[in-house]
Amino acid sequence: MITALELGLIYAIVALGVYLTFRILNFPDLTVDGSFTSGAATAAILIVNGVDPFLASGAAFVVGTLAGLVTGLLHTKGNINGLLAGILTMIGLYSINLRIMGGANIPLLGEDTTISLLRQFAGSGWSSVLVLVAVALVFKIIIDWFLHTDAGLALQATGDNEQMIRSFAVSTDRMKITGLMLSNGLVGLAGAVVAQHQGFADIGMGIGLILVGLASVIVGQAIFGTRVVIQATMAVVLGAVIYRLAIQLALNAGLNPNDMKLMSAILVIAALLLPQWDGFRKFAARRRRGRSALHAAAEATLTEDANINGKRVS
Amino acid sequence: MLNVTNVSKTFFPGTVNERKALIDVNLRLSPGDFVTVIGSNGAGKSTVLNTVAGRISQDEGVVALDGRDVSKLKEHQRAAQVGRVFQDPMAGTSPNLTIEENLSLADKRGRRRGLGLGVNRAKRERFAEALKVLELGLEDRLKTKVGLLSGGQRQALSLLMATFSQPKILLLDEHTAALDPQRAELVTRLTRKVVEEQGLTTLMVTHNMVQALEVGNRLIMMHEGRIILDVSEEEKSKLTPEDLLAEFGKIKGAALDDKTLLQ
Repeated sequence: MITALELGLIYAIVALGVYLTFRILNFPDLTVDGSFTSGAATAAILIVNGVDPFLASGAAFVVGTLAGLVTGLLHTKGNINGLLAGILTMIGLYSINLRIMGGANIPLLGEDTTISLLRQFAGSGWSSVLVLVAVALVFKIIIDWFLHTDAGLALQATGDNEQMIRSFAVSTDRMKITGLMLSNGLVGLAGAVVAQHQGFADIGMGIGLILVGLASVIVGQAIFGTRVVIQATMAVVLGAVIYRLAIQLALNAGLNPNDMKLMSAILVIAALLLPQWDGFRKFAARRRRGRSALHAAAEATLTEDANINGKRVS
Repeated sequence: MLNVTNVSKTFFPGTVNERKALIDVNLRLSPGDFVTVIGSNGAGKSTVLNTVAGRISQDEGVVALDGRDVSKLKEHQRAAQVGRVFQDPMAGTSPNLTIEENLSLADKRGRRRGLGLGVNRAKRERFAEALKVLELGLEDRLKTKVGLLSGGQRQALSLLMATFSQPKILLLDEHTAALDPQRAELVTRLTRKVVEEQGLTTLMVTHNMVQALEVGNRLIMMHEGRIILDVSEEEKSKLTPEDLLAEFGKIKGAALDDKTLLQ
């Protein structure tokens, strides 16, 4: 249970990265499957060679941003379809990751890692969970802050209305590349921490990661809403934890670990299909009635009418 | 302020769909000129605007803004000096961002977008003040997402945003055509007010003959990629929509669409 919570909080960083591309940029980025392992591989090889684990994790972030840069350049400058650009980088990274690691697996047992330091400092009980909660929240707050800066608003607008933001002198190419770099940097960092948590880096650890990220984003936002950015990112963090707990419960109930990828896929499909189903829509509308979104819409209509009836519109 | 010299543009050259959108177009706008552009469908009105904005690159000729050749600049680079309002009321704003965030994006046009907060108290006050001009009460709804506004409100906001950081030229592409008459009237009134107050050099495409005559200090008529009529302020004040229709009639085979006839 505690392990699942810890992993969920680490994967929250992946979910925040996927949120940046999938939700903010409206760009389904498959690079993450590769950049996650790249981060893990980079950190592992550095740690084995005696580099400080925090520095090694920082390097994993940088390697992740480079992966994002490649996908971004392929998509914007090379005019390659976004999905394909991500797949190309992901496949290419498989070989690069093998090169970085010099093999398919690097064990980290007995090495000083960020997680081993966490255990020394906070043990392996609830206090270490609390530390990871704080870490996840710090990343959430940094993303919240960034998205409200001038650069962050331009990034949001790029995903929202490309034509409009270009007419305000923003290079949408540069914004997409920035978003992809930041996203994959976070994913690479999370890969590094996951490797340190499980005690090894493995060439296959990123396979299907995009589904983990999407499931966290979609499930979290379906439950906790997306009205404003700070709410949406909170939903994403909680979604990652819920997803990890659900997997843990499924395993405890006796499901075969090999079936987990299928379960993830089915979960994401359900989350994408359910909202299209009429019965669900009615249910959701009824549940939402009286909530702020509708309030705002109603208010908009009312003001509108008032303006038409009054002399404000001449 | 704006110099369009010998500009030509052909779409789909060398194919059966080849269409000469602009043929050797020359257009000069002095600072403060407010030019309305009319013409039948496919006359090249929007192509002129898109060529100035850099959305379409011309095959031949030069586009210069304020004495500087901008022909080679990309759309977003030119946008630092060009304000635009589109026909589609949904096109000019970011629906998932709030009113104040949209204004903040407009405020930073042509300046570096760094890691400072997009909206702070000082900016919020300035944005609220600017919104009062629209007389739509939007200054009290700064935190409302723009997607919740009506088409008319969004178009009024688009106009404010396009003119917020004093562009060198303002391009209006039938920006009242998709609105109901009442809202179109409001946006037209706001356009005149803003352009007059800021002395903006403006190019406005319209389908509406009455609007084309009432607004601005100069009128041009386009047909099949050429400018066929260029009327100064003095002559324009004497023209009636009937005169313009007669002018259209002179063009052999010129097809007027229903919309033009109805207005």
